[in-house]
Amino acid sequence: MNVDLTTRVGTLQLANPILTASGTFGYGLDLADLCPPERLGGIVTKGLSPQLRRGNIPPRIVETAAGLINAIGLQNIGVEAFCRDMLPELAARRVTVVVNVFGESPAAYREVIARCERVEGVAAYELNVSCPNVSAGGMEFGHDPALLASLTAACRAGTDKPLWVKLSPNAPDLVGTGKAAVDGGADALSLINTLRAMAIDAVRRRPVLQRGCGGLSGPAIKPIALRMVWEVHRAMPSTPLVGIGGIETGRDVAEFLLAGASAVEVGTAVFRDPAAPVRILGELERFCAAEGIAAVDELIGGLQWPC
Amino acid sequence: MIARHDFAARVAVVEDLTPACFRLELLCSRPVAAEPGQFVMLRCAPGLDPLLRRAFSLAGVRHIGDDVVVEMHLKEVGKGSALLRRLAPGAEVAMLGPLGHGFTLDDPGGQRLGLVAGGIGLPPVLFAAEVLAARGSPFDLFFGASTARELYEVERLAAAVSAVGGELVLCTDDGSRGEPGFVTAALERRLDAGRRYARLLSCGPDSMLAALGRLATRRGLDAELSLEAPMACGVGVCLGCVVELEDGRLVPSCKEGPVFPLDRLAARWRS
Repeated sequence: MNVDLTTRVGTLQLANPILTASGTFGYGLDLADLCPPERLGGIVTKGLSPQLRRGNIPPRIVETAAGLINAIGLQNIGVEAFCRDMLPELAARRVTVVVNVFGESPAAYREVIARCERVEGVAAYELNVSCPNVSAGGMEFGHDPALLASLTAACRAGTDKPLWVKLSPNAPDLVGTGKAAVDGGADALSLINTLRAMAIDAVRRRPVLQRGCGGLSGPAIKPIALRMVWEVHRAMPSTPLVGIGGIETGRDVAEFLLAGASAVEVGTAVFRDPAAPVRILGELERFCAAEGIAAVDELIGGLQWPC
Repeated sequence: MIARHDFAARVAVVEDLTPACFRLELLCSRPVAAEPGQFVMLRCAPGLDPLLRRAFSLAGVRHIGDDVVVEMHLKEVGKGSALLRRLAPGAEVAMLGPLGHGFTLDDPGGQRLGLVAGGIGLPPVLFAAEVLAARGSPFDLFFGASTARELYEVERLAAAVSAVGGELVLCTDDGSRGEPGFVTAALERRLDAGRRYARLLSCGPDSMLAALGRLATRRGLDAELSLEAPMACGVGVCLGCVVELEDGRLVPSCKEGPVFPLDRLAARWRS
């Protein structure tokens, strides 16, 4: 059986629902030999800021039960180097590129978008307002609905392309921040970013990470991410969602689609298996074929109630 | 860059080298073009525990007919290495590699190289020694460990060194075998006696590498250090394993290392 894998996030058409999550696939070409980005629905870049960022002092990562805590600190090459050195090849390969945007102020977010608007090859923007690992910007915008609405509006004014806002699971009011983003002009919401977490070395009596805390990703957070996608979908059924959190298999993707996501981002799985996004795509296709699902978008929001 | 690949390798050999360390040999069905100092990422078990692969330096690659044998020496330090130690011959292990940058093995003007290993830092140094021996490039090899039973593969090292007329210097912290004290002190005694090296190539604990870095800096010698840093991906995208460079940049060790020229590294490796 031939399965139609196409989906759309708002107005953005995707060849399939599998994207890579920001910070797990470099700038889209780093792993092209192991996982061709043109085979995916799209890639989301490492968070880009106006200037390059050095990131946090190591140790930056620690593995936990079915999870990974990171405190990278948004190290990136800066938007200029991305547009100059990476985007032309991504465009030549016809990769759907979503630029993850980060800044320490609304003006900095606008600057990243403005630079990308001058070149071809960017399909959409994802605002990073949920990074737990930086001291300025990031999560402060994602936790305050009023700030988030004004940041989103400022970015909205700078582009006609689809604008996604990546929500923080650490925000006190997830649905409230989602609504604020849409009020500010977001076309879609992606969720979830990492959960604030820590690891302690009992012998040394010290935190494992240099920053003390970081963000937890991986299969450990999948049930939380599913619940959050479902809650936001239920509260905002007309808002397109992109599900993120611990996706390891094609069946995981189906679960996120049923909860209300129109597409998903695969993250930590890439660290275990660089070809995970294409593998997961194959698994999703086989799952649909086995279940008699002709088009993958039939699954979106299709959760039946109760159990 | 040498082409990397995610191999479905099979266990050929698991055997003890010391009480804590063991040899793991994996069979691959296609050629592995690796250089000494490069590493691979091994999946230690199916399922989610451990979640991430583990990075291991290569101790050698042998092509025997159509078979390719990839050799590693592992120290059992946690769950991942313990699971690998219990694998039976024939078990499948996902092996991503070869990864990273290895040692510079050219010898300007036939001048000898100084190879320096500490403890479980031996694998890339052994790999380099056997490649240099096969080429006929001269080198001395310094191998230090805490005690005699942690010195392993001594016969292989001796064979490689003697093939090029070099010297094998064994050291133990407790003096139970070879010269008592650190390898860096044994190296310095040779330098004091007038021996010259084109370059020092080194892998071992951070304290040994820092001592070697200070010695090389004092003596004006070129050196390359193979550094160890916790890695998630091994392919430069997670940015977890960063190392600080002389210019202040933090770069992923998996991609720009794990072997770094000493003069590229932050000052703490030199002073």
